[in-house]
Amino acid sequence: MSITVDPNAAPTAPSVRGRGRVLPAPVTPAEIVLGVVLVVLWAALAFATPAFLSAGSIIPLLVEVAPVALIGIGMTFVIIAGGIDVSVGGAIMVCSVVTAKLMRDQGLPLILCVAVAIAAGAVLGLMNGLLIAYGRVHAIIITFGTANVFLFIGLQIFGSQPVSGMPNTLAWFGRGVAGQTLGVPHSFAITVLLAAVAWWYLRHTAGGRHFLGIGGDAVAARLAGIRVQRRVLLTYVITGVLIGLASIFTLAKGTSSLDQSVGNGQELAVIAAVVIGGTSIMGGRGSVLGTLLGALLVQTVKSGVTQLGWPSQLSDLFVGIFIVLAVGTDLLRQRTRRAG
Amino acid sequence: MSVDTALPTKEKSATHRRANRILEAVLTQRIVLLGVLIVVVVIVLMYLSANGYLTGDYDFDYMSATLIDAVPLALLGFAELIVIVSGRGGIDLSVGAMVSLVGMIFGFAYGQWGWPLWAAIPLALLVGGVLGGINGLLIAHVGFPALIATLATYYAYKSVALVINDQKPINSTQIQDLYSLTGSVRIPLIGDYIPDVPLGVFTFLAPVLVILWLVLARGTYGRRLYAVGTNDTAARWAGIGVAATRMRAYILSGVLSGLVAVYISAEFASARPDAGTSGNGLALPAITIAVLGGVAITGGIGRLAGVLLATVLIVWLNAGIILYFEGNAGSQFQLLALGVVLIVAALLNGLTTSRYRGTG
Repeated sequence: MSITVDPNAAPTAPSVRGRGRVLPAPVTPAEIVLGVVLVVLWAALAFATPAFLSAGSIIPLLVEVAPVALIGIGMTFVIIAGGIDVSVGGAIMVCSVVTAKLMRDQGLPLILCVAVAIAAGAVLGLMNGLLIAYGRVHAIIITFGTANVFLFIGLQIFGSQPVSGMPNTLAWFGRGVAGQTLGVPHSFAITVLLAAVAWWYLRHTAGGRHFLGIGGDAVAARLAGIRVQRRVLLTYVITGVLIGLASIFTLAKGTSSLDQSVGNGQELAVIAAVVIGGTSIMGGRGSVLGTLLGALLVQTVKSGVTQLGWPSQLSDLFVGIFIVLAVGTDLLRQRTRRAG
Repeated sequence: MSVDTALPTKEKSATHRRANRILEAVLTQRIVLLGVLIVVVVIVLMYLSANGYLTGDYDFDYMSATLIDAVPLALLGFAELIVIVSGRGGIDLSVGAMVSLVGMIFGFAYGQWGWPLWAAIPLALLVGGVLGGINGLLIAHVGFPALIATLATYYAYKSVALVINDQKPINSTQIQDLYSLTGSVRIPLIGDYIPDVPLGVFTFLAPVLVILWLVLARGTYGRRLYAVGTNDTAARWAGIGVAATRMRAYILSGVLSGLVAVYISAEFASARPDAGTSGNGLALPAITIAVLGGVAITGGIGRLAGVLLATVLIVWLNAGIILYFEGNAGSQFQLLALGVVLIVAALLNGLTTSRYRGTG
């Protein structure tokens, strides 16, 4: 029986390998290592503080990680296509303050809140995308500029005081019982679902592969018939839309008031998650799965540090160390591959 | 007939050509553009001031006093200039975090351990150099992309600065007395005719500017740095130690951040653990200033004068905006101004290089 199976399997093996050269393995070694690190970290934390693996600790972690991971999906597209977006913090502020004010003053229902936030995010993303794709200026400069403009818009809408007394419209996305199904927070479930779609799109469709091509070599991509400017524009609009949705998550996980510090420093948190996830900052290589794991790792470190009773600011030190380790091992692996 | 008409057209084309050349200079040479913008901003604000649109007087005394804000911004702008010029995606996101951390260590040394100033300041510069050296090691020798290495060290330094003294600032009497370092002084001889200038301009900005100018524009290190930034491979074949040159750029950035840490501790009479990282931090404005000053993000291009003019432009523009609006609305409009000026300058650069150089 086994003899008849083997000859059948043998001819297919080279073709699978041949395809493997075009398409990287579904899960890269770096992602496996990241997953293992995550499991080890969780085990160590569970050992050190038994409360860590209880639902009361895991669910807030998942709710907390959802916005960063969600924006990370968009940022993965942006960075893979050779760009970067440092205006995320300002964009979150604009989306969340617009939604918060409309929700409180006009009493918008849940679905309209989501629509407004996503529309606002899409407009901001479109602004970034148009300037970057058609302005012939490096993405980091444009988004440094728009970051300031977005902060201005957000602060102007805030007026001088925080938005307080918001209704409980967004509880379905929140950290309470209404925000969970079978113990899984809705915001995290949606993030994983969108990440799965993005992962499949990036790997298995021509449209998704175009982003990798552009990041690898934009000129070659253009000569190969890819509409580079439109695809680049699209990455920023995708990020904008996801920022809109992430703003809803941010509003939902907070209290009934929203202050001017919303979104502060989020651009670097998102970039850190993407980079730890193995996406090359040079473009052309990366995956959404890694970003999801990277975001989980960052948030695990943060909640672990607080639960161990250490000063919460210490978590940033570990985030820095993880970035160095993740990218450093990647560099070493490339170097040995090139040498060998 | 033809003789009559030929002369005027020739004259017209001569003036036309001159106007064209001036336009080209404004559009393609960042320093000319910034100079024109500074003049426009100052004239507009003085006009507004004279007609009572501003809440305070926008005069030379005020403009001179606001230069106190220009010192840290310009120094960090120079730091970004050096690392961005060093090429291969050079950037330093960690300058603000280095300012925080060095500030705390300076605060310990001078404010608590009772070190004299002549020992505490070199210590601050040394620590800054070491922190910058860690960046340089990762980037130049290990091969990290600068954005990632400095993002990592930004997090690490920021965290250590906050934890090192339990988030508490150091403001012992020694540190508070340092405020005299940043007061205003009357310049000797010509001081009666011009406004008093903040002392920091002479003690911090001017010496650094002269030294950096000698190093970058007159020294061999500058030639190597620009060569490395323009073309890594060509520089290596020309026998330049590429890694060492790039490493020194990041060390210099750290040393400058250390100097800014001392300045900010003196200016606020307190060594704060979030001096360079609170709010938006100091790194983003510094990078913005450098880019506005004409430093090409691709490396190899950038002049000190451009960064200095960009700093002055932003500081004087901000000073006017603060006077135009009541309350804290002004600080919000400063963000808008910074963002719009940066985007417009960058777009203009992209468009004009393709218009006048035929490439891009």
